[in-house]
Amino acid sequence: MGKATSFRLVCRPSDHVLFRLKDGAITTAKFLSMAHQLADALPAGDHVVNLCHDRLHFVLGLAAALLRGQVSLLTSDRSPERLRSLQEGYPGLYSLSNDQAVSSPLPHHHYRAQPPRPWVDEPDNPEIPASRLAAIVFTSGSTGEPVGHAKSWGALVERSLDAAACFDMTEAQPASIVGMVPPQHMYGFETTVLLPLHAPASTWCGAAFYPEDVASALRAVPAPRVLVTTPLQIRALLQNSTELAPLERMISATAPLFPDIAAAAEQRWNTRVFEIFGATEVGSIASRRTVDGDMWTTYPQVRIREDHSDTMVEGPFAVPHALSDVVEMLDARHFRLLGRRADLVKLAGRRASLAELNRILIGIEGVLDGQFVAPDDLDRRPTARLLVFVVAPERSADEIMADLRGQIDPRRSGLVR
Amino acid sequence: MTTDTRATTEYEVAQLLIDALHLEMTAGEIGPEEPLFGEGLGLDSIDALEIALAISRTYGFDLKSEEGRAHQVFASLRNLTQYIDTHRTK
Repeated sequence: MGKATSFRLVCRPSDHVLFRLKDGAITTAKFLSMAHQLADALPAGDHVVNLCHDRLHFVLGLAAALLRGQVSLLTSDRSPERLRSLQEGYPGLYSLSNDQAVSSPLPHHHYRAQPPRPWVDEPDNPEIPASRLAAIVFTSGSTGEPVGHAKSWGALVERSLDAAACFDMTEAQPASIVGMVPPQHMYGFETTVLLPLHAPASTWCGAAFYPEDVASALRAVPAPRVLVTTPLQIRALLQNSTELAPLERMISATAPLFPDIAAAAEQRWNTRVFEIFGATEVGSIASRRTVDGDMWTTYPQVRIREDHSDTMVEGPFAVPHALSDVVEMLDARHFRLLGRRADLVKLAGRRASLAELNRILIGIEGVLDGQFVAPDDLDRRPTARLLVFVVAPERSADEIMADLRGQIDPRRSGLVR
Repeated sequence: MTTDTRATTEYEVAQLLIDALHLEMTAGEIGPEEPLFGEGLGLDSIDALEIALAISRTYGFDLKSEEGRAHQVFASLRNLTQYIDTHRTK
């Protein structure tokens, strides 16, 4: 069966709700009408940096840009310096926001969404080529200079369909998503902006930052409710006494979620806590229920392929990209994460990750805390050895070394001295 | 004239920020008019969440995003102190 070569801007029934607000709901028909209204007002240009804080304005901006054939740039860093540096790479770039307080050094289009014009016919819902460049999403820059990653329309749509399958969303009972992550971040972009356009879900577009906001948002939307959040925010919710309306599931990403936090959240809110694994460059690619263990299941259409020393991620219409994490494939759709590639150390010709070694170390009986440390010249000096710092008042160094040898892959057992 | 014994001081809110965010500075070093986010102290949204938790524990009320207000509340130590003073329950 051949792949579709185009997808409509919105692939949902026309009377279904895509976005929810405190005082109303935006159906497919209403959304399309509002998007056309904004598209007509957008300045000419090839690229727009979408700075909208408000989720509804953000997604209308994205849709309007698509209708006009413009590419949306998404950046979490909205400082004037960052925006000026984007302008150098994308001449003619303009910025878009609904927020009066935004100070942009670029030609700026300010707008506030208007109620849609009355329409006679169904608003046009155009087919958009799958190969069309829809967005360029920038990394946060926490690991160096921000890098932009191109996202085709087809890649974004197919990944949304994958996520919906993975999280059991059906048009008979569409999920109500409340997202605590900004729409400009790849994780928030996929789960809270793109999902409702193509999958059976609606997204809350009111405030959802403080625990009290989240509680009122969840009260305002129908079941089944899905909270899209991060480990830090789950911790904040757990520390807060606010009650939450019944939650079908919580989804976490951006950092590893500790199983004890996931278990506490599941118990407190009688829900299931899932994590998404992904990165700006590849998007969401796998999920797991945290309390079930460390095995990840890839999204249905995502393929992970070992290519020499790289782990390549492939998906429909997506640019294949190497992962910056090391994985151990268990079968075609299941893997374990071993650690960041940058954490990798070479041990007698084999790769191991410090994160993996630390995990083993901490699991040894009597070890309260510990850390492997790689000397800077480990790669160049044959006699260089990894160092281990351990807090284990009840055990001797020799005993711990013996346990480490026993637990680290026998192929590597000679490597730790 | 009666004195409100509960009046919130900028000094104690500065100390709350320092404790909640593990800032390496003293309460006197946070200027009352200085912006807390972006420039100035350079806090980010995750810090805002930490501050909200600390405020909830210490002063007994939960921060809510009110349209257009969040920006103002966190604009400076002075604004935050005034906001806490009018909303605190303990």
